[in-house]
Amino acid sequence: MARYEADVVIIGGGITAAMVAEKLFELRPNWSLIVVEAGKRLFDFENRFEYRQRSLDYGENQWPGDFVADQAARGVVSRTMAVGGSALHWGGVCNRFSEEDTRLKSLYGLAADWPIEWKELERFYCEAERRLGVSGEQSPLPEDWRSEPYPMPAMTMSYNLKQLKSWAEHSGIKFWTTPQAKNTVEGYGGRGRCRRCNTCEICPTGARYSPDWTFKQLLAAKKLQLHDQTLVRKLVLDERTPRIASAQAVREDGADNNVEYRARTFVLASGYCWSPHLLLLSASSRFPNGLANSSDHVGRYMTGHLAYQTTIDLDLKIFPGMNDQHSLISREFFRCRPDRSYVRHDLRVWENAGGRGPQLRDAEGKLLLGDALMADWRKRTTRGTARVRGYFDVHPDRDSRLTLDTAAKNRWGDSLPVIQHRIDAASQARQAATREHLQGVFTQLAKAGDGRMGNVGALNYQDHPAGGCRMGSDPATSVVNTFGRTHDHENLFVVGSPTLPTGGCTNGTLTFVALALRSVEEIAK
Amino acid sequence: MAAPVNGHLHRRTLLQFLAAAIAASPLGRLRLFAQTPPITDAQTVTLKAIAEVVLPNAVSREDRDRIVTAFVAWVRDYKEGADMGHGYGSSTLRQASGASPAARYPAQFAALDDAAKAAGAASFVAMPLDARRAAIEAALNGPQPVNRLPAQPTGQSLIADFMGFYFTSSDAWDLAYQAQIGRDRCRTLDGSDQAPEPLGRSF
Repeated sequence: MARYEADVVIIGGGITAAMVAEKLFELRPNWSLIVVEAGKRLFDFENRFEYRQRSLDYGENQWPGDFVADQAARGVVSRTMAVGGSALHWGGVCNRFSEEDTRLKSLYGLAADWPIEWKELERFYCEAERRLGVSGEQSPLPEDWRSEPYPMPAMTMSYNLKQLKSWAEHSGIKFWTTPQAKNTVEGYGGRGRCRRCNTCEICPTGARYSPDWTFKQLLAAKKLQLHDQTLVRKLVLDERTPRIASAQAVREDGADNNVEYRARTFVLASGYCWSPHLLLLSASSRFPNGLANSSDHVGRYMTGHLAYQTTIDLDLKIFPGMNDQHSLISREFFRCRPDRSYVRHDLRVWENAGGRGPQLRDAEGKLLLGDALMADWRKRTTRGTARVRGYFDVHPDRDSRLTLDTAAKNRWGDSLPVIQHRIDAASQARQAATREHLQGVFTQLAKAGDGRMGNVGALNYQDHPAGGCRMGSDPATSVVNTFGRTHDHENLFVVGSPTLPTGGCTNGTLTFVALALRSVEEIAK
Repeated sequence: MAAPVNGHLHRRTLLQFLAAAIAASPLGRLRLFAQTPPITDAQTVTLKAIAEVVLPNAVSREDRDRIVTAFVAWVRDYKEGADMGHGYGSSTLRQASGASPAARYPAQFAALDDAAKAAGAASFVAMPLDARRAAIEAALNGPQPVNRLPAQPTGQSLIADFMGFYFTSSDAWDLAYQAQIGRDRCRTLDGSDQAPEPLGRSF
């Protein structure tokens, strides 16, 4: 049996944990810190070009071994479980939410208000952008004010995006480039400049922020201990108080089935799935519904957003592959006047190769070889395709839940999680109107370029999932307070995506990182 | 362990032993790779004869040879049992990679030669270009016609696999667009706001 003690133990090794660890040591350089992560550390940066190439050539995993075989869930849950978490694979998109996201109840009578003022959150958005290294272009909308400029100039708008912007703005909707955690200058954060590899899921140059980078820097400076391949199975209460006394863990490699962590403060940073899961798994006779769950809100209000998307065939010369993960965004629809039917969404435009590729047979089914195939293909290269998508705001039902699946257990005998998203009645009631609205926006865009719109498809899962330990001022209807401190256990914090009451209508990473950075200031007190 | 009765069995037994030993060892995750025999020199010549028919004329002979060499290398470096990862937001792991598609190629190389012999030629390679084209069309239009270019070799059709290997490549897209896009290459951001340079070479 191994026993470790630290001032702070962080459970989880993803992007939130990396940010919390980095900031905590700036604020409290003398504190001891242990990060415990169930998956492996994949720090072999020198092999990333090879992994990228094998992914392109053979479809192999860009991050070989980035999972724990028997640590799976049912529902929308990424299998990534490694130091760096899902942000090993992310595209680096760093959109902010808007003030409306934090005032849904007071502005529209919907869902819940967040227990935080926008100006306060904005300050931490700036900090998150600095730490992640975000390159971006200021939105032209006054509502998108910012107190600091982006840390890096925006990514060059590719020739393709310039063409697409020119077309899209003919519709009367304003577009600009999407902010991303990708270096547009050499050396920011010790990382290289983007080289347009088109494989942001694994950035071989390090231009796209990845949490493993932060962990390596902290380890090199001997600022923390990182215990990877160590699965925390249970949080244990102090015998007489509601404080957390220890975390019980096992080594995934079987080297030790009885590892104990003791700390003054525990920070749960295991994402929207594994954070509420651990709280539920940690039920005891004193807390039979799980820890931090006196409100019965752990695992509830699982959130995210839905999307409609389409392609638009345009009379534009587009060269697919110039920088196909970079996109345009419009935030014009982030706001909705309170006297109008409620619909809020982002709007993104990408270059697209759909329908432009080589074909073995022509429209009549005749086989094409050599020059005939190339001639047929070239006919399709004279026009271009845009991919257009709008993430729209839906709100979680109370019974949008993560629960323990008693029929599915890992090798240690622990029940695994199952997530069943459910949107609330108001979101359901407005779905048809939302679809009609977005279809109208897509049609408006298509008309602007005399384009032909493809089928409008709906995302069949909630993207950018969050929730499960929502924050709030009222302990009866929330799990954590505005700083992520659990209402029930004063030395237990939950940080990151689980704390979001609602999932907004755009990518959530920057938002939950900002909230986590705010939490650190409380943790450090 | 049973005593080997001939060299073949001996070799197989040894391989089975190695497989079991490696699987049981800490290095087991590395698995045994590349059980499929590589493409032979003779088959490589056949591939070049196929390439002359199915690749565009704008691809020079040297570049055709390079494409064939790259395809042979793809087959050689294929790994069975490789980690294929997991899809975005998916809670399930993809199945590990299966047997090499190239395991199905020897019979298809042989069938091309058989067809050539039935047509009175010594081999597929010995046939003139038009006859090779006819044989290739017959193979792709056969009882189970091939209708799509696979993004990656599947083994169903050697010829379609080879064509897909080239036509889905970054180089083929550049040729189609007559521009140096370089989709799969890591490139500087500089100049990306301009249209890509026109192709200055044959491929």
